[in-house]
Amino acid sequence: MNEREVGGVPDDALIRTTLAGDDGAFAELVERYKGRAFAVAVGIVGDGDDALDVVQDSFIKAYYKLKEFRFGSNFYTWFYRLLVNQAIDRWRKSARSAEVPFDESWLSEDASPPDSFAYPRTPEDLVRNRELGDALQRAVDALPEYHRAVIVLREVDGMAYDEIARVLGCSVGTVMSRLHYARGKLRESLKSHREE
Amino acid sequence: MDCGTAVGKILAKADGLLPRQEEAELAGHLAGCPACAAEDAAITGTGPALRALTGIRAMEKAPALDAMWTRVRAGIEEKRETRRRPLWAARWVWIPAVMTIALLALLFYPSRTDRSPFHPSSFDVAVEDVESDTATVALVDKGEDLPTVIWIIEDAKT
Repeated sequence: MNEREVGGVPDDALIRTTLAGDDGAFAELVERYKGRAFAVAVGIVGDGDDALDVVQDSFIKAYYKLKEFRFGSNFYTWFYRLLVNQAIDRWRKSARSAEVPFDESWLSEDASPPDSFAYPRTPEDLVRNRELGDALQRAVDALPEYHRAVIVLREVDGMAYDEIARVLGCSVGTVMSRLHYARGKLRESLKSHREE
Repeated sequence: MDCGTAVGKILAKADGLLPRQEEAELAGHLAGCPACAAEDAAITGTGPALRALTGIRAMEKAPALDAMWTRVRAGIEEKRETRRRPLWAARWVWIPAVMTIALLALLFYPSRTDRSPFHPSSFDVAVEDVESDTATVALVDKGEDLPTVIWIIEDAKT
């Protein structure tokens, strides 16, 4: 999960060096996390340009808040909290956002059983089937923002439930129920697309 | 295995938390239960589908993503400048402020000349009349510290 092994220098050391005045160390943190940060941001805001702005603003915010970082905790969990909040703010301000009523039935045991469906598994699958890609994007857009954040952190970034709970400031149970709701909604939206 | 238990195990499998032996049991249940098999497909299919979607967006924005540090550094510098500016501005801000006040004083003070800055309730004056055919001239001398005032009244107009 943590990329310090890949990069060599631990995140904590880079943070200390940045705080000592070496911006090059912060550049290393940006290089280390920008890809994952973009994937999470674009999953939440939907638009690539908006996601780039979100990533940029989050890193700038992190730079100026670095003094508040508690050593011993994970940088990416701390950073993702800034990132997700920034992305949700951006989403709310964007024209794409819309009020989506929370459908409690997805949390109940009465939810209808899903039909089998061939999900796209690679970018190439989606390039071949652009309509399916659009349908998936619409389905993601239709999710309430915190449900979208949960499913993106879990499925795109691969975060553990307790890490997601720390990032979003909620319980693990809430994470699991939001994930269940989001998966159900996505499945239903794509099923509708197939039936069109 | 009932379907409720199976769904819990499907989630555990998706999270990589299901022991291998239970995974085999689950596979047996999925083979005979289309509803749970579809649930399994939905849960295990969501991740790759979303990763494919974000992968496309990342490919589209790869050049901008490569230049992310340049963007971030520019933003950091810009914010640093904004933070410095108030100190710099505070040093010189009094100059336009003083100039503005002086300008306003120059513009508006003359328009209030109908009000004398000097409002005596009573004072002693010495009036001296000078005879004239067309006008009455009055010379007022209040004393040494104040100026002499001269009224010239011509055709009953001052």
